Amino acid sequence: MEEKKVWFSNERVWFSFFMILALTLNFGFFIGELDDPEHHNVFELFAVIIVNLIATILKFGDRTQMGPMLLATSLVAVVQLISAAIVWAFAVHINDTGLTPSVMATIVSLSGGALLANVVSVILLIIETTFQRR
Amino acid sequence: MLRKDRQSEPAAKSASGDQEEQAQQHSDAFAAEEPFNPQTAMILWRMRTPLIILICVYAIAILGLVLIPGVDDQGRPWHMSFFHAFYLVSYTATTIGFGEIPYPLTDAQRMWVLITIYMTVVAWFYAIGSILALVQDPVYQQARKQSRFKKEVSRLNESFYLVCGLGETGYEIVRALSNEHYRAIVIEKNADSLLDHNVHYLPEYVPVLIADASIPKYLKMAGIAKDNCKGVIAATASDEINLKVAISSKLLHPHIMVVCRSDIQSYEENMRSFDTDFVVNPFHTFATIFSMLLHSPSMHMIFNWLTGAPDSQLNQDEEPLRLAHGSWILCGYGRFGKMLYRKMLKHGIETAILEADESICEQFRNDFPEHADKVITGSGVDAATLGRAGITGAVGIIAGTNDDSNNLSIIMTARQLNPDIFVVARQNMHDNTELFERSEADLVMQPREIIARIIRAQLLNALLIPFLLKASKQDEQWINVVVSRMIAVIGDRKPYVWTSIIDEENAPALIRALQLGRKVCLRCLATDPAARNHQLECVALLHERNGRKTLMPDDEIELQPGDKILFCGKREARNAMQWSMQVMSSLNYVMTYESEPESYIWRKFGRRYRGEERRRQPRQ
Repeated sequence: MEEKKVWFSNERVWFSFFMILALTLNFGFFIGELDDPEHHNVFELFAVIIVNLIATILKFGDRTQMGPMLLATSLVAVVQLISAAIVWAFAVHINDTGLTPSVMATIVSLSGGALLANVVSVILLIIETTFQRR
Repeated sequence: MLRKDRQSEPAAKSASGDQEEQAQQHSDAFAAEEPFNPQTAMILWRMRTPLIILICVYAIAILGLVLIPGVDDQGRPWHMSFFHAFYLVSYTATTIGFGEIPYPLTDAQRMWVLITIYMTVVAWFYAIGSILALVQDPVYQQARKQSRFKKEVSRLNESFYLVCGLGETGYEIVRALSNEHYRAIVIEKNADSLLDHNVHYLPEYVPVLIADASIPKYLKMAGIAKDNCKGVIAATASDEINLKVAISSKLLHPHIMVVCRSDIQSYEENMRSFDTDFVVNPFHTFATIFSMLLHSPSMHMIFNWLTGAPDSQLNQDEEPLRLAHGSWILCGYGRFGKMLYRKMLKHGIETAILEADESICEQFRNDFPEHADKVITGSGVDAATLGRAGITGAVGIIAGTNDDSNNLSIIMTARQLNPDIFVVARQNMHDNTELFERSEADLVMQPREIIARIIRAQLLNALLIPFLLKASKQDEQWINVVVSRMIAVIGDRKPYVWTSIIDEENAPALIRALQLGRKVCLRCLATDPAARNHQLECVALLHERNGRKTLMPDDEIELQPGDKILFCGKREARNAMQWSMQVMSSLNYVMTYESEPESYIWRKFGRRYRGEERRRQPRQ
C-alpha cells in the first residue's frame, strides 16, 4: 500500500477539509460589528466549536514534523472558543445580564483569537504540503 | 512516517542497500525522539475514531434539542438553549438521568431524547471498548513496559551492574549482587525465565527488560552508556550473543568492566582480543579446579568455601576429598576431556582414554604418539570397554561425554565393576541435577554453577581469584595451615569474604591517623573495637600494595593508603572492622586502648583536662 504513488490520500483530504472549515466558520462568526449580538449567531459558534474539536482530534495522529505545531494551534483555538461559549452561558443563564455589548465584545474577541490560531494552522498546513509533496 | 523520512533523505533515494540501511537507522533515531512517549502516541492514535464519533453524536443530539420547539411551565413556546441542551445530553449520555430539566419535555422532544440516548450510549460503549482493547494489546503493553523500564533506569543514580541473560548463571549473579546491596539491571530475551527466577523477592529492586541483549539499542535502553554503569556481565547461554554484548559494551561505554561467559575456545580468544576484562570458560575453569584437587585436596576445599553461595551452610566434619594414587580413565575426549587430559599429564597421572569417535582417537594418536596405546575406541557405557581400559585397577574415572545419559550410565557401570572408584562427572543439562546428586559422583562439573561461582567471586572481591591461583601454587603443608586458621575463625556457615580498601572513602579514620604520622598495623584492624583484648574472627588472606600481592600477610605489617586486604571470616567481624576504619575513637581505642572524645566540644574539654598526661605519654 505504501509503495503506491498517490497524489492525495483520503485521510489528507479530510484533514485539510476540517482545518479549513474550522477557519471559515470561525471567520463567519467573527465578522460583523464587534459588540452587536445580531451579527453573531449562536449556531455558528456551536458549529465552530464542533468542527474545531474534530480538527484537533484528527491532528492527534499526525506524526509529521509539523504535527506538534499543528496540534498546538488547534488546542489554542479550542481553548479560546470554549472560553467564549462559557462566557456566553454565564451571561445568559447564570448572571442574567443578557448579551450586553460588553459581553458580546468579549465573546467575539475570544473567537477572534481562535481565528488567528486557525489562520496559523492553515498556513502551517500549506507550508507542509508544499514541502512534502514534490 | 519512516517512509516519508526516507523519501526526504536524498542519499537514500539513489543509493544501494547499504545506504538504505543507514537511512533506516537515521529514521529509527528520529523515532526515538518523538514528541510524545510511544504509549501516549498510541492511545491518541487509536482514540481518534471513537472520539470523533462521540463528538459528532453529541453535536447532533444537542443541535436537535435546540431546534425542536418545547413549552415552558406556563405553556408558552420555548426553545432550549445550547447550555441546557448540553446539560441534558451530558447526563443522559452517561446514563445518570436527572429527568426533564428545566421544563417537562414535549412528546417531540422526548422522541428526540430517545434517539439521543441510544446514539450516545452506543458511542460511549464504543469509546470505552476501544480503550480496553488497546490496554490489552500486546504491542501497547510492550510499549508501556519499556517506557516504565526506561524511567526506572534513568532514575537509578547509584552505581549498578548490567546482567545480560537471566538463566541459572545470571540469576545467581543477580542474587549475589543484590545480597551485597549492589544494584543490577537485567536484560533477558525470554519472558518465561522470569517465572523460574523471580527477581522481585531479592533485597534490591531489579528492573528487567524483556529484549534481545545482542541488539545495541536495548543495551543503551538499559543504561549501558550511563556513568554509574560499573560493569556488564554477559551470561547468556549463547557464545555468539555474549560476544556481541561484549563488543557493543566496549564500543558504547569504553573502559567499562566486561565479564563474559564463553563455552567455545575460539569465542573465548575473540573476546580476549578486544580487552574483555574477564572471560569465564566453564571447561577451562573446571580443569583448573580439578588440577587444584590433584595438587591438594585441602586447596579444593578452600576454593569451595571461599567461592560458594554466600548463605550456604558448611558441613563441619567435611573431609577434603581424598585421592588415591594410581591410574585414571577418561571417557570422552571432547572440549572437556582435552582440558582435563592436559592437567593430568602435567601432574604425571597415567590415564586411559575411551572415545567413541574413531577420528578423534586417530587425532589423539597423532598429537601424543608416546601415549598412542592409551586410547581405546568405545563409549565406556558397557562393561567390556571399561574392562579393556582397566577399570578394576583404576583409582578414578571421569565421565566427560557431552551426553548426560551416557555419563550417568558410565558412572553406574563403573561403580558396579569397582565400588571404591573416585568418580568425576560432567553434567550438561541443568535439569539433570537431581540425577547426578543421586548418582553419588564425588565431583560433578555443572557449567552454570561454576560460571556463577567465578563471576560472583570476581565481581564481589577482585582479589579472591588471584589469591586462589597464588595459593594453589603453594605446597600441601602451607595449605593445611591456612585451612586450620580458617576453621578456627569460621563457624558452621560458609566464610564471608570481603576486601578492605584503605582509602579516603572506605577508611577515613585510618587515613587521618596515617596523616598524623601514627603507625597502624594489620593487627589493629583485626582487633575488636568493642573489646580490645579480643581478636575479630577473621583471617587476612591477601595484601595488595601497588600491584604487589602478598599471601597471608603478617599481622605486624604497617598499613599505607591505597592498600587492599582480602579477608575471610564472619560477617559480624567485617561490620566491627568498619568501625575502626571509619570512626576515629574506635581506631584510637584499638590502637592505644584509650577512648578519645569525638565531638568538637568534648575534644576541647578533654584536652584541657588531660593536657599534661597526654604530653607525658605521646601516642604513637
